[in-house]
Amino acid sequence: MSGELRDRVSIIGVGCSRFGDLLATPELVGLSLQELAAIAAQEAMEDAGVDSAEIGAVYVGNAMAHSSQLPGTYSQVSKWLGMQFKAGVHFEAQCSTTNVGAAMAAMAIAAGVYDKVLVVGFESTLTKPKELSPYERERISSEQSWMWTDYAVNQAYSVPQGYDIFSVYNGLVAQGYCRKYGYSIEEFDHAMFELCRTRRLHGSMNPKAAVQETLEDEAKRLGYDDPYEFWTSKQNPFVAWPSRIRSLVTACDGASAMVLSRSEAARNTPNAPVELRGFGISQGDLPWYAKDPTLWPSDRIAFQEAYAMSGIQPEDVDYLHCHDCSHISGICAAEQSGYLPAGEGLRYAEQGRLRFDGDRPMSTHGGRHAFGHAWAASAGSDTYEAVKQMRGEAGKRQIHPAPHVSMIHTHGYAMISTVLVLERS
Amino acid sequence: MPESIIKRYYDGLGEGRLVARKCNKCGAYTFPPTTACEHCGSFDQEWTELSGRGSLLFVSHGIAPPPNPRFDEMAPYAYGHIILEEGVTVDAIVKDVEPTPENLQALFESAPVDVEADPVNVKGLNVLAFKIV
Repeated sequence: MSGELRDRVSIIGVGCSRFGDLLATPELVGLSLQELAAIAAQEAMEDAGVDSAEIGAVYVGNAMAHSSQLPGTYSQVSKWLGMQFKAGVHFEAQCSTTNVGAAMAAMAIAAGVYDKVLVVGFESTLTKPKELSPYERERISSEQSWMWTDYAVNQAYSVPQGYDIFSVYNGLVAQGYCRKYGYSIEEFDHAMFELCRTRRLHGSMNPKAAVQETLEDEAKRLGYDDPYEFWTSKQNPFVAWPSRIRSLVTACDGASAMVLSRSEAARNTPNAPVELRGFGISQGDLPWYAKDPTLWPSDRIAFQEAYAMSGIQPEDVDYLHCHDCSHISGICAAEQSGYLPAGEGLRYAEQGRLRFDGDRPMSTHGGRHAFGHAWAASAGSDTYEAVKQMRGEAGKRQIHPAPHVSMIHTHGYAMISTVLVLERS
Repeated sequence: MPESIIKRYYDGLGEGRLVARKCNKCGAYTFPPTTACEHCGSFDQEWTELSGRGSLLFVSHGIAPPPNPRFDEMAPYAYGHIILEEGVTVDAIVKDVEPTPENLQALFESAPVDVEADPVNVKGLNVLAFKIV
């Protein structure tokens, strides 16, 4: 195994829909999934300055077929993307889908098979087709959506025996972190409050985020002058003690896309290409960790492989996104990457150092809590944000100076740890 | 006629036994059992049983109503991270712990505590669970 890309590959265009609710969010209401996917694909192709004739293959990702009801996804959706007769595949790596797609595209391009590949991911976690209607959708309950989502994890032994994502991904990890590094539960709770404030601040500066209300404004709206009193109130219950509901994912609907190209063939793009320097992919089904809930072998391997392929070191990383549909697990991954020192992540969060204007910025689009989480589309939304930051196009939440190297870590449920390393060309 | 490994595991729980496989190549346990050793990938394994004794390291809880309707009547229930005396870690239901913040805080402060397997039948399926001893 060479562990290297034999030709240089760049992301030359990115696209992302507003994340939200197909039944309620103004920019999304009434859209079909085909149209939702096309919003992201069209933006990515226009951003790249390419038309369909230049695309060699299209990889279309969707994780939860129960809500999409679009098997044959690659062919069904390609029809809506101007990609008729293109090579491609429907693929899924759950919530790592779009970034695994980027890695697949990079391998195909580096092997010389295609010059340009379009990667698209879309998901609805909140709705499903209404009675086989081609355009009407209806609400699915949260527990129904989670049951379908949980089909992605250990169906032999975990889900049938009472497995619950919120304890394994949040509460147990939080306790492991506190015990290992000597934090009290009260200190943990306050750091999670500050981290949520940061995520919600980022979301408030992002017109594509699902949640654009700051935590402080939400507290006021619900009658609390003190946002921490709101944080510890019954309005913010424990979902898996000691983790509260606002330290978790906001499930939603959305789509993302990117165009990857052989770097040599991307000299005249309208926007600055970002080179995909390397990636790492590893998976481990439940249990995700051994005795220590803060150390996940799949994360360790994925980071190691990404560092090795890209030839960079942790100190080279200017911007990191970690999969943060559990805020504490995102902190553990950031520490595993070397971006944050071990045991210091909560202090960094407490001190606001993870904000867009801090010295260790993370999840500047708002993360899974504020930007929202649309399973197969989310990794692409993280890449979208990283590319925008690296180009200096992130608006009010722009990191200064614009990151030169970005690392994007995602957890595809059950558990596909994926890491991309991007470098400004 | 082939016997499902999964069925053998659940049938074992019904008899109070924790059915595992031990690798003839690396010596590690795979629990619950699968076709290949989850540590070295070898298919050369033999059947064995674990003691069911272990330590509860951390305990939290899940949501109610739960995603899996089998557990409708139990949720919310305590769910723990346990290391068995054979060195195998498992996540499982912890019986007889009402998952209030106060109870979970007390267990966080006193853990690790000794537990032993005490499988429970939930709507027709034998399910691994532990009780504090």
